[in-house]
Amino acid sequence: MGGDFAPSEIIAGARRAVDELGLEVILVGVPELMGDPLGLEVFACTEVIAMDDEPGGSVRKKKDSSLVRAAELVRDGKASAMVSAGNTGATMASALLRMGRLPGVVRPCIATPIPNPGGSPCILVDAGANSECTPEMLVQFAQMGSAFAKARYGIESPKVGLLSIGEESTKGTPLVKETHELLAALSDFNFFGNVEGRDLIPSPVDVVVTDGFTGNVALKTLEGALKYIFGAVLGVINTNDATKAAGDVLFEHLLPIAGELTPDKQGGAMLLGLEGICIISHGSSNATAIMNALRVASEMDKAGVVEKLRLTIRPDQG
Amino acid sequence: MSADAGSSTPLDRAAILNIVKEQLAEILEKTPSDISETDSFTEMGADSLALIELVEALEEKLATYVPGFHIDDEDLENLGCVNDAVDYVAAKLQSA
Repeated sequence: MGGDFAPSEIIAGARRAVDELGLEVILVGVPELMGDPLGLEVFACTEVIAMDDEPGGSVRKKKDSSLVRAAELVRDGKASAMVSAGNTGATMASALLRMGRLPGVVRPCIATPIPNPGGSPCILVDAGANSECTPEMLVQFAQMGSAFAKARYGIESPKVGLLSIGEESTKGTPLVKETHELLAALSDFNFFGNVEGRDLIPSPVDVVVTDGFTGNVALKTLEGALKYIFGAVLGVINTNDATKAAGDVLFEHLLPIAGELTPDKQGGAMLLGLEGICIISHGSSNATAIMNALRVASEMDKAGVVEKLRLTIRPDQG
Repeated sequence: MSADAGSSTPLDRAAILNIVKEQLAEILEKTPSDISETDSFTEMGADSLALIELVEALEEKLATYVPGFHIDDEDLENLGCVNDAVDYVAAKLQSA
């Protein structure tokens, strides 16, 4: 029940998911802090992991926190997925420690859908879970990202790009160059080659793989740039009567683009590689973002994403 | 000498080393024989969350020998390599 606008926006988003999408939602939190649950089922706990709490330690110390309890509901089969807009690190830690990793997965990664106007989103993996990676970890992120794009968006053979500073295979850090070699050697895998930061939106590929540090910097840079551009356009439109008149004409054409690019529509990032579904929503999520995060969680469950990831990492377990 | 579950006999160092290596190998998707006593957690690719996984796994495993066995989070930062973890667990078991 975390997030900048919790609990009111979280509860409102959950209510909308029930009313508009027909989903079953359990609110996990401290009743005294939640206010009116709007008629939704509440799983009561007594502790809260704050946004600035240390992730791993807080999950161990606050065993009756909403994050830990939500992850346990998924682990115990009482919920199909968990969604949180709270402390990202603690969300990841609670999901990892309570649900566990899929067999063969070295480290789980964060998959963030980047809007791709007119098409399926481009999946950025890892968007921030693992700052330091080995080439083998990046290969596994690429495989999980590809399996996710296939299961979630129905892309038959997702194109996977490796984020670097040039298209040539000789460009990049030792990590990037070694990963390039490994990805190029994979069979039955659609490796596109290197892509650059400018290829994130619009993207020529379905999945972009990178380490969590670079991925998070790229994502936040993109978010900041888009926010600035939207603000700048609105500022220009509000300059004088003539620009306002032009704005009246342009608005109906600009709004759909803005609607496609807003993070609220995507609902959040997915944690890949766990024995359960965990959606990490933006800290600033409003009710619409939460409703969409719950929709994404439900769609991932129906698509059997976890089982498909399991078979990707360990094909012999099919 | 490795004690059976439920025994009050403390584990010896070799047994503790085996447990630490087994749990670490499972977390890092390695084989126990790939891990040596002097390997540092950082060089093995064990990040802070992997170490928390290790702590939880050790607590669960060792609780069968010493009920309620607990590792203090504050002590984690002093554990840089496999040897450190083994020494720490041995000392904890000794004082239990």
